[in-house]
Amino acid sequence: MAAIDTLSAAQIAAGIAAGEYSAVEVAQAALAAVDARDPQIQAFLQVTPELALAAAKRVDAARAAGEPLPPLAGVPFAIKDNMNLAGTRTTCASRMLETYESPYTATCVQRMLDAGCVPVGKANMDEFAFGSSTDTSAFHPTNNPWNTACVPGGSSGGSAASVAAGMTPIALGSDTGGSIRQPAAFCGVVGMKPTYGAVSRYGVVAFGSSLDQVGPFGRTVEDVALAMDALVAGGSDPFDSTAQEVPAVFAEHVGASIAGKRVGIIPAFMEAEGLTAEVRRAVEEAARALEAAGAELVDVDLPHLDAAIAAYYVIGPAEAFSNLARFDGVRYGYQEPGCTTLAAQSSLSRAHGFGAEAKRRQMLGAYLLSSGIYDKYYYAAQKARTLITEDYARAYEQVDVILMPAAPRTAFKHGEISDPTQMYLSDMYTISINIAGNGGMTVPLGVGEESGLPVAAQLVAPAFKDERLIAFGSALERAVAATPGAWGAGVADAERGGRLGAPCAPAFAGKGGELA
Amino acid sequence: MALSEDDVRGIADYARIALEGDELTEMCAYLNDAVAMLEPVLAYNLPDIDPTFHPIGSLSNVMRDDIPDTGRALGIEAALGNAGSARDRSFRVPSILGEEE
Repeated sequence: MAAIDTLSAAQIAAGIAAGEYSAVEVAQAALAAVDARDPQIQAFLQVTPELALAAAKRVDAARAAGEPLPPLAGVPFAIKDNMNLAGTRTTCASRMLETYESPYTATCVQRMLDAGCVPVGKANMDEFAFGSSTDTSAFHPTNNPWNTACVPGGSSGGSAASVAAGMTPIALGSDTGGSIRQPAAFCGVVGMKPTYGAVSRYGVVAFGSSLDQVGPFGRTVEDVALAMDALVAGGSDPFDSTAQEVPAVFAEHVGASIAGKRVGIIPAFMEAEGLTAEVRRAVEEAARALEAAGAELVDVDLPHLDAAIAAYYVIGPAEAFSNLARFDGVRYGYQEPGCTTLAAQSSLSRAHGFGAEAKRRQMLGAYLLSSGIYDKYYYAAQKARTLITEDYARAYEQVDVILMPAAPRTAFKHGEISDPTQMYLSDMYTISINIAGNGGMTVPLGVGEESGLPVAAQLVAPAFKDERLIAFGSALERAVAATPGAWGAGVADAERGGRLGAPCAPAFAGKGGELA
Repeated sequence: MALSEDDVRGIADYARIALEGDELTEMCAYLNDAVAMLEPVLAYNLPDIDPTFHPIGSLSNVMRDDIPDTGRALGIEAALGNAGSARDRSFRVPSILGEEE
């Protein structure tokens, strides 16, 4: 029978429901794939075979008892390590939380469990989600499954790599400035940042409270839609006052027609400095594919987007500083031994518990919130936010979605970008919607002609219209499936057979994870 | 005006992060680079624009009855379990008021 990486989450759930294989067999296959592949990828900080097998046994018992199975029953998933799951550590890839035991389970994780998903492990990330490479993890870097010399992107790099390497069909990540969409682009998988407030953040370690949002990764648009339905199906969350009621209609929009709909293109984004030719060509082809599917392309202007990176690096660090002030070495987290005063204990615990980037972001935030500076930068950033949000609102009077790159280039090599402020520019296409709050989704477009690495487009929709991303993403996915050689020489079109979605990275396809 | 190492020492004290060795010099260079990168936002400090502090404008406080949620409240053991040091039912800290020796 097939290796687990050839099956989507939807196919796995259907196979289990039909009795083709058991949930325990699927869990064992996923764990075997992790055993065989993760030594080279290092996507996981903690693998959870006991929790996975216990969850899988519950699915098999429910099926044996003739109970109706939930929609993702038996589907293995990976969880970014800033999300609490009782029975695991939640480290945020930081020495600060190296031994932190999750005291409870985050709502987003619980909803995936309620949908029948099987937790395979906690995925690596940039420390406290500060980064675009996953190289700032205090424990180890994660390698891009398409080229292990390259980063998987970040901060949710472990989650994206787990899906791209076929270890789990889906994963959860969080996105504060692009931390789902940029690693999805680098790893050639689908990744959605829903509208701010669509998914509960209860139990997710906070970074930027007006920016953070949880969302899923998958190799197909359908799997991301199914995961979104699972995440919102329980309604709003009384434990997160920003969580809103969102209808669980994502799966209904898989494959929906986009004929007669309008797609916005931002000409300035397509000409931006730093955008590589292969990514630009791929996004232009994606635009033509949407046109061929019946949509109309419309140029839109968002004049204030040039302020987005600056506004983000005011708001994000300010909120991060305020959120991470809680790590004082007293109630949880690393505690410096032998200190005679609380002040010394706090400042040394923070100095030795946090890595360099976490310290940099907090120092920047502390400066920006200090007396006299606050008025100058913070208010200006929040006013820029008003203008950026109004820009998007005006654009959506003309179009249903906007198409743009997800990242200006393909995955870079470990250590290639060492200047932190240069690294910040890699978020140029993702940041503005965290500021405005609306949702976006990365859709892989195959591999680039020059780099041979995944290239991707990003679709952006009005706030709480995230289901449109599924319909337009499906259209792009169909176009890629119909393009010969889209995934390069390592992925034979004949084997793909026109199958929708991204393939497992070729170096890892079929490596362990055989379904007996 | 560029931030001096003295300024950065003051920020570190406020942020409760002890900078050691070369960190002060490196942090000073970083902060000056980062603040320079933020420059474009200053053009937006416009008097007739309202700031947006939060992407959901209509957000209101979520209230519940003022009764303990015993299902969700952490037990003492769980609450203290992640602490670096604890005694009996309490987190244990060094002197709050004492001078450093």
